[in-house]
Amino acid sequence: MRNLLPTFFYLGFVCTFPLQVLSAPMSYKGSNTTMIDFSKHYSKIDSGYALTAKDTLGLKLFRAKGEGYELQGEEFYYLRRLGRINDIKSQSNLWLFLSTGMIDIKKNNASDDEFYLSPALQADYETRRIYVMGSYQLMRPAGYNFDTSKMKAGFSFYKTSYEETQPWFILELSHTNRLSEKLEVIPTLRLINKALYFEAGISTEGDPKLHLMYTF
Amino acid sequence: MKKLTCLFLLFVSLHSLAATQRVEIMGMVCAFCAQGIEKSLQTIDDVDDIYINIDNYFVVIDSTSEKGIPDEMIKNIIVDAGYDVKKIELIDESVKNVRAQYEKK
Repeated sequence: MRNLLPTFFYLGFVCTFPLQVLSAPMSYKGSNTTMIDFSKHYSKIDSGYALTAKDTLGLKLFRAKGEGYELQGEEFYYLRRLGRINDIKSQSNLWLFLSTGMIDIKKNNASDDEFYLSPALQADYETRRIYVMGSYQLMRPAGYNFDTSKMKAGFSFYKTSYEETQPWFILELSHTNRLSEKLEVIPTLRLINKALYFEAGISTEGDPKLHLMYTF
Repeated sequence: MKKLTCLFLLFVSLHSLAATQRVEIMGMVCAFCAQGIEKSLQTIDDVDDIYINIDNYFVVIDSTSEKGIPDEMIKNIIVDAGYDVKKIELIDESVKNVRAQYEKK
C-alpha cells in the first residue's frame, strides 16, 4: 500500500488539476502565520511571514520518530502559491514549499547530521462545506528516503456566520517512508474561528494529534 | 441650544458625506479567508465599519469619504489578500442596516 501511495497522489494530482481542484498555509500580504503540530510521532513549530499574497518566508523546527529512527531538524523555507482559482463558491490552490536546513538522524545509537533540500507540492480545494487536500514532500538527506505523502478530505457539519466557530470532520491519511510501516489514518475534528484554526484527532492506532494555526 | 443645533447639523453633514459599498468576493469560502480580507481592508484610512457575510460571499464597507473608497484600491487590497473581486457597487444602506438585515435571518 505504501509503495502505491506516491502513485496514487500523482494520479490524484493529474486527475484533479483539470477539474480546478486545488486552500492553505498562508494568509494576506504582511501577515504572520504560526503553526504548531503535536503527536507521538511528529511535532513541529513553524512561523512564516507573507511578503506578498503569493510568497512566504519562514522558519520551522521539527521532530519525528518511528521504526527506530529519531529525526530532529531546523529549516528555513520559502512557500510559493503557484496558482489559485478563486470561484464565487470555491477556492483551489497549488503550493510549492522549498525547504533547506540541517537534520539530525539517529538510529541504533548512531547519529548523522545532514544538510538537506526538500521540495513539496500541495494541492487543495475548499468550499463552505467541503475540503480536499493532497501533498507530497521529497525528503532525502544523504541517501535516506523520508518522503511524506498526505491526503485530507472532509466536510463541515453546517454553515456558520463569520462570527461563529465552524466545525469540520476531516479524515487524514499520512505516510512517511522509513518512519512508518503502515498508512496512518486520523479522523480529525477541525474548528475554525477567524484567525484561529484548530485540529484534534486520534489515529486508528490510538495516537492523539493536535494542530494549531494562528494568523496575525 | 445653538451648540446642540450645530452638533446636530455637523452630524447630519458628516453622515451625508459617508458612502457604503458592497463588494462581491471570489474565493472567500471560510472565516479564515475572511479575516484576512477584513484586516487588509481595515488598513484603509477612510474605512469606518465593515460587515462580512461569508454565506453570501460579500463584504460591505462604510467609509467616511463621499464617493466611497476607489474601486481600484479595494480591488488591489483584496487581490493582495489573495482573493478576487467580482463586483463593487455603491448601496444606500449602511453597514449597520445590512448587518441587522442578515442577522435577523
